[in-house]
Amino acid sequence: MKRKGIQQMSWKGIAAFTVLILILPFLLSTSLMITKATFAGIYTIVAVGLGLLMGFAGQISLGQAAFYGVGAYSTAILTATFGLSPWLSLLIAIAAPALIAYILGHTMARLHGYYLAMATLAFGIVIHVLLVEWKGFTKGASGFYGIPKIEFFGFTFTQGISYYYLVWAFALLVIVLSLNIIHSRIGRALRSIHDSEVASSSMGVDTGRYKMQVFIISAMFAGIAGWLFAHMSYSISPGSFGLDGSILFLTMVVLGGSTSVWGAVFGALLITAISSFVQALGSKISFITSDFEHVLYGLILMLVVIFLPQGLFPAIAAKLKPLLEYAGRKKKAGNITAVKGDQRA
Amino acid sequence: MADSVQFLISGLTIGSIYAIVALGFVTIYSVTKVINLAQGEFVMLGGMIMFSLLKLGIPYLIAFLTTIAIVIMIGWLLERTIVRKAKGADALSLIILTIGAAIFIRGIASMVWGKGSVKVDSFASNEPVYVMGATITPQSIWVMVFMLAIVAGLFLLIEKTMLGKAFRACSVNPVAARLMAVSPKKMSSFSFALSAGLGALAGLVIAPIIFPAYDMGVMLGIKGFSATILGGLGSAPGAVLGGLLLGVIESLGAGFISSGMKDAIAFGFVLMLLLIRPYGLLGEKNVGKGGL
Repeated sequence: MKRKGIQQMSWKGIAAFTVLILILPFLLSTSLMITKATFAGIYTIVAVGLGLLMGFAGQISLGQAAFYGVGAYSTAILTATFGLSPWLSLLIAIAAPALIAYILGHTMARLHGYYLAMATLAFGIVIHVLLVEWKGFTKGASGFYGIPKIEFFGFTFTQGISYYYLVWAFALLVIVLSLNIIHSRIGRALRSIHDSEVASSSMGVDTGRYKMQVFIISAMFAGIAGWLFAHMSYSISPGSFGLDGSILFLTMVVLGGSTSVWGAVFGALLITAISSFVQALGSKISFITSDFEHVLYGLILMLVVIFLPQGLFPAIAAKLKPLLEYAGRKKKAGNITAVKGDQRA
Repeated sequence: MADSVQFLISGLTIGSIYAIVALGFVTIYSVTKVINLAQGEFVMLGGMIMFSLLKLGIPYLIAFLTTIAIVIMIGWLLERTIVRKAKGADALSLIILTIGAAIFIRGIASMVWGKGSVKVDSFASNEPVYVMGATITPQSIWVMVFMLAIVAGLFLLIEKTMLGKAFRACSVNPVAARLMAVSPKKMSSFSFALSAGLGALAGLVIAPIIFPAYDMGVMLGIKGFSATILGGLGSAPGAVLGGLLLGVIESLGAGFISSGMKDAIAFGFVLMLLLIRPYGLLGEKNVGKGGL
């Protein structure tokens, strides 16, 4: 029998998700919705990284938006101020957050629990203040204008369908990469750290090194997302990279569930959908404002921690699994039932 | 010289507020091992509810006491409805839970009071006092007096009363405390109520200085949390020391370097200190394990 689950990643899930992503733009009617779906892809990249950090390394980061901001601003400054090609600045947008994570990781390797939460929180605020105050480079609170578009052999990615596919190509790459990581030796080591750091370190797992690696990976993912965000919009401002941003990413991961990569993806999609829905509702009903969105996020965080500590995705997956297995057995049982099953689907 | 004195005094003023907020963190943490990141929202509620009550024409002292009572009720409710349900969750989940509560309260506040700042009258006259060339508003003096009174009051409550003894028993060993007929559940509720009361007091004394708004709790909460961590999680003297230190560093940084950079300076200092002493100034080494 083929070994499943932990040992191997399933390509079926990836294939199904890819098809969904490919056909989604044809189901969305307005360009605003396409933009939202593009944002969902950018958020997915950050959330998957944060999910790895929280669910697999058992670390919390309340400053993930800072890495996202470092990625966005480094590419903005390099391309708009120094005229570098966006593809070259992508490397810097990944390397800069990674370097910061490396330095920060060394500081925080000795920190745990609440102390770690404090350190990442402090880091996020320091970066946000620097983005606002370092006006010579970042142009301050009013924002950085004039970021060029990404070009690829003469083709320009502009906001819309083409950018949607570009973002999701990166997002799928990140998802596949993350699935590979968690199904590898590193992934097993990480899971053991999450369950018991003491036990895994006594089994010879270098816990510090693995935690550091996953922290750097999560920063790199956030950097890629920042790069995509910067070149999508003509301008960026520090407001997108503050505490609210970090908490938004946290909400996505907590809602979806941090113990699987798909949980983070699911959370990012769901939060984007909720946010779009509330905004659409807000344009009709004056009572519903952007504050209402925050009330909703707060409520989601509390309810999920109390009732679904594992997150929504594992809960749904557990419900769906018997159904899928049932369908699978029916298929094997004979052609007639299989045809019936297809009709139902 | 006059500048230094001025910065020092404004640093001690804001530092006193951080110290009160930090004491709120310690109060809850010592009994429940929960870090309540909604602590800053109690401060905001203190300022905003006071504003609403004063607007209704209620006399200052009555409004003052009513505000404290209302915020204490909210803190008690928070424990009863939400925190108690999640007992046994790990530190990560508890942090997320209280962040959720904070966002929720803040969102409701912005729907009730709007996004603008409001003005609350000072306790007494507004005539500044001059000391060594520095200007001190009477309200700053009130803030420091309140901080000292709260420290003294908490000390008496925790060290000298039967209630305080039960409180300490729960913080040392909840199981043994239960065997001695002390209910850790009741103490948990009590700690949230007490901490909410402290937050409300902080909000009430600072309101005339900073023009409260719905989002003032974010930074005050985070700074109070920093002060707690800076002093060493779980240590009350550490919380006061951490709060005053953070306030003074922030104020000196704002005065001599750049006012826009003050938060970066304060948090940069916290990061540096955690690098050198991962368990805070007065924390015990074993508390460095995340305080759990």
